[in-house]
Amino acid sequence: MEEQNVQLEEILTNIQKLVTNVETVIRGKRTQIQYVLTALLAKGHILMEDNPGTGKTVMAKTLAKSISGLHHDEAIFKRIQFTPDLLPMDLIGSHIFDDVKKEFIFKKGPLFCNLLLADEINRASPKVQSALLECMAEHQITMGETTYPLEQLFFTIATQNPVEMEGTYPLPAAQLDRFFIKINFGYVDEETELNIYKDYLGIQNNLEHIKQVLSMKEILYLQEQTEKVFIHDELITAVRNIVWDTRKHPDVVLGASTRSGIIFLKCLKAFALVNGRTYVTEDDVKQLTFAVLDHRLVFRNKEAKQKALSAILSKELERLSRLKITTNANTYGQSPL
Amino acid sequence: MKIGRVHSWKKVVAQLILLIMPTALFFFYLLWNLNRYYSILQNEWTKQGCYYFVGLVFTTVFYSYRFRFITTALVLFLAYYFLYHYVGNASIGEFDGFYLSIQFIVFTFLFSLGWVSGFGFSRSRYFTIIWSVLLLTTQIIVVSKTTEIKTDLLIAAIAPVIAYSFYIIYTSELIRTMNEAEPRFTWFLAKRIVGFLLVVLVILLGLFTIFKSEFKTIEKEWGNAQAKYDKGDGKSENMNQKDHDGNMSNKDQTKLSGSLSKDKQLVFVAKLDNYFDDGKTPNPLYFTSCYFTKFDTLTQTFERDSLMPFNDLYEPDPSRIPLYFAKQDSTVIKNTFATKNRKVVTADIYKVLLAPSKYLAPSTAFYCQPMSVPKEFKEQYKSTYRAKMWVSDLNSAYFIYNPAGNKQLEQFQSLRFSKLREVKKITGPDKRFMDYYTFMPNNDDYKKITQLAKQITNNAPTPIDKMIAIRDYFLSKDEFKQPLFKYSDNPGIPGMPSANKLTYFLFENRKGYCAYFAGATLFMLRSLGIPSRVAAGYLTVDRSSKNPGWYWFYANQAHAWTQVYFQGYGWIDFDTTVPDMNTHQATQPDGTPPTNMPQTYLVADGEVVEVDEQKKQIKMTVEKLLYHDKDYQTRASAGMTIDVSIATITADTGAVKLSAIKKGVHLTAVSFAEALKNILANKKDSLASIIAKLPFPVPIDEVKIMSAEQLKKLKKKNNEALSPPIDWIQLGWLLLIIIGSFVLLLFLSPWMIWQYFNQRAKSSGNAKAYHVYRASLYYLNQLGYAWDGKGPQEYAMEIDAKFGSSFAKFNSLYQKIKYSSNPLSEEELKQVNEFYQPFIKQIKTQTKLKTRFSKFLNIYTTLHYFNQSKTS
Repeated sequence: MEEQNVQLEEILTNIQKLVTNVETVIRGKRTQIQYVLTALLAKGHILMEDNPGTGKTVMAKTLAKSISGLHHDEAIFKRIQFTPDLLPMDLIGSHIFDDVKKEFIFKKGPLFCNLLLADEINRASPKVQSALLECMAEHQITMGETTYPLEQLFFTIATQNPVEMEGTYPLPAAQLDRFFIKINFGYVDEETELNIYKDYLGIQNNLEHIKQVLSMKEILYLQEQTEKVFIHDELITAVRNIVWDTRKHPDVVLGASTRSGIIFLKCLKAFALVNGRTYVTEDDVKQLTFAVLDHRLVFRNKEAKQKALSAILSKELERLSRLKITTNANTYGQSPL
Repeated sequence: MKIGRVHSWKKVVAQLILLIMPTALFFFYLLWNLNRYYSILQNEWTKQGCYYFVGLVFTTVFYSYRFRFITTALVLFLAYYFLYHYVGNASIGEFDGFYLSIQFIVFTFLFSLGWVSGFGFSRSRYFTIIWSVLLLTTQIIVVSKTTEIKTDLLIAAIAPVIAYSFYIIYTSELIRTMNEAEPRFTWFLAKRIVGFLLVVLVILLGLFTIFKSEFKTIEKEWGNAQAKYDKGDGKSENMNQKDHDGNMSNKDQTKLSGSLSKDKQLVFVAKLDNYFDDGKTPNPLYFTSCYFTKFDTLTQTFERDSLMPFNDLYEPDPSRIPLYFAKQDSTVIKNTFATKNRKVVTADIYKVLLAPSKYLAPSTAFYCQPMSVPKEFKEQYKSTYRAKMWVSDLNSAYFIYNPAGNKQLEQFQSLRFSKLREVKKITGPDKRFMDYYTFMPNNDDYKKITQLAKQITNNAPTPIDKMIAIRDYFLSKDEFKQPLFKYSDNPGIPGMPSANKLTYFLFENRKGYCAYFAGATLFMLRSLGIPSRVAAGYLTVDRSSKNPGWYWFYANQAHAWTQVYFQGYGWIDFDTTVPDMNTHQATQPDGTPPTNMPQTYLVADGEVVEVDEQKKQIKMTVEKLLYHDKDYQTRASAGMTIDVSIATITADTGAVKLSAIKKGVHLTAVSFAEALKNILANKKDSLASIIAKLPFPVPIDEVKIMSAEQLKKLKKKNNEALSPPIDWIQLGWLLLIIIGSFVLLLFLSPWMIWQYFNQRAKSSGNAKAYHVYRASLYYLNQLGYAWDGKGPQEYAMEIDAKFGSSFAKFNSLYQKIKYSSNPLSEEELKQVNEFYQPFIKQIKTQTKLKTRFSKFLNIYTTLHYFNQSKTS
């Protein structure tokens, strides 16, 4: 265990390095980078919503380049631009008749990669959307009788565009649920924006010469270790309370599911690791509630959307901040790191 | 459509128990109090309380759903509108429209008030403050209406409001911030309920001690009501009421009912010093107990009205006036407006069954002097007092009625009639007076009475002729030469129970007892624009030729009659009850009258300084003096020597000898000596100057030794009588101190809480980190850096950015202690332990003292710190 801890320490520093690395290209987006990594470590997927040109694609690209691959020199990065006429086959791949072998062989589609950027996911037809989402959930593709497993590390960054809603197929709540985290990418602040303009050549340069900080193996190891991050009973209670409150709140039409609660816990653990900690704190709860839960809830109206969840969250944070120090009585078989 | 909730059921229940119940209880109290002052409320505070209560409870539950106020209130008003129309249409026959609409307005007002306050309690945070201010204002207005402001009255009126206000503001804030999701919620609630019950108990006990005497009277009334039920049908009416001790007095209201019960017990004996011009023939006067100026049309009851304009009823409690010390009320004289032909008449009343606290005298009595019953009559009479009243020459028990062939009386009567004929039209002192005393219910039944009155008095030009015409109508005979109206104690009731009994009496049955005649006469007179009222008391019968001026009053002489106002002469008794033909006045025996009470010229009250048994003289200091019916009092007592050689000396135990009087004993000396008759006091005289005028030694006829208990009572009464101006100031100070200390406590509380947190944080223990964190948060919150739902680390970094402190570092370690399974290292522990004091110091030095001081005064920031936020 001791050695493992040493290894863990090293990786944790590497994660910080990864964040800094990505930050050389994506300026002023530290939290967003952290969220992306959280989704990655929690073995989930992330949905980013924002206007074009805020750096979503660059972000995904940089991340892919920073990870060294198992067989290749870097992680396989694929990008699909979703359009209404896209077919599931274009994603999954198709059987092609081989003239030489006189048989159908399976030509793998872009889904067989480590890091997938699904751009403007809401422009594709529901058929394509569900094909993608199924793969994301199952980690495998079934074509006829054969089942093809996806890469061991398969991480999707989907984006959607809130403007120009005509001709789009907004993702239904049930499918949004597949994404562990949904974030708004957002614009950078004024000062950072100025810096970006001054230094855009340097940034381009950085993107081309990005360093590989983490190996795929390390990522897989981290994914494994995420489950072992210590989470205090009170924080588990906090997650339960928040989930319950969303169901009871009069302004919330559809509350969070139990699955969302579990995803919340996973993300909490991952977020703690991303922040270089081996235990979850109140801050993690505060930072993740919106990212994890907001897109799963259906609110009564716009006003409610802005208020309800933050009210639930601050009530729970208050409760936590008043807690006295208690030792954890029951760890539910958690083996502390 | 499913309607969402604003509050959970748990919260609504908490509101109902902790806010609504106390409010309703308090409102009951308030209404009870208001009912004592405003007779328009008809003394139905339970019913009115229920209106409010229903409105309040309904709305609290109703608005716990997300209903809009304005739309729902509009619906309510529509409902009122239709209900009002329905009421208007339904009020036929037995219903009285006027009465109903008044009731309806009261209902509407109270229900709406309940509605609005329910909404306020349910939705608005600051409503409790507005509500408290409103209640306090109401109470102050009510108190300011009372003429006699005493400390206990003021405390009784204001203290509950203040206590309630504190309670309600506290509780609403508590409920607002409580966390109903807390697992031990029921326990939380239970604790509060127990606490509340204790508070209620304390308040009730306090109220009980303050209102002990009033509770006793209520108790008496209840006891009386019980007795009434015992009679079985509950329809029988008795004009006397008895208390537990068997004492009697007139009742405060008299109802028109199917039958009247009468007893033949001696109630009191009176000596009335009223004679006709010849100075020999006694002129009896009816003894008044109270006036019924109001008639409740629904219950057909004559009632007293404390708001009666120009109140000329004098109601002292003779049992509470020190022996021989007279008490008088000049407003009575002022309010009678009688200037012509009037004189002062004295009456001595010897009580037999009459309650000791009861004061009876012919109308416009203004004076009461308790006397001691002569020794030999102690068995027979409980107590006695002397009353004085202004009496018009024209007034008499014989007025209008029953000269019964006595020439002198008939002559007298016609003389008076001719005098009163000069009054062509009765005009009261002002419009309010006239409106009040000529008020008629607006109803078909009363229109019929008006018609009848006009018909009867068609040929009568002056008010007095109209009165005679009404009398003649009651005395007239029908076509069979039988009296048209008969006296009956059991007139029976009309077929329809709620039908108007007066019209039934006047037009159908024509049988009734005094209240019927008085009531019918009253409305006939009023319909003619003659101001009149019903007086209740005792009918005076002159039966004795042996003892002129002495009258015996039996229980069956309880009576009601009409009084008419003539400007210049005041209120004149006018009895229209026809004689009872069936039960011919059984001649009741008149007893031997007690010895005539001589005129008291001097009553002195004081302490014995020296007793000279040989000369039979006592040197005493005088604190209080009554001389020729005028009261003198001084704080610096004057010395006086009295001659007790012929005096009877009595103590509580009976007659005693002079040797029983020792130095320091408190006594009352009374003199009837003729020698004092002509030594008159003038206006400028003080107690000392009167004593100087008196002969030496002062001849005294009666000495009464006061026991320690009586003395104590007297002292207390004196203090009460003398203290009001001082009390105001004291009360002001007391209020100021209470409010001041409350405000001080309020402003100091943030600082005191800080001191507590600070001490906890400084002391080291296992939970030091927690206390340090809490204290830091509180301190920062108080200085205006509220935490407000940020992440702890985010907040700590903000603070660090502002003060350059290391709060974030500490916070991350604290979070580690709190949530990590690994213990802190030595180094980290040291950091945690050494964080607090430098951090606070750092903040202190960077915040100006002025800012810190002002911020710490703000209780709202403190409240904010302790508030639990809600999800909605």
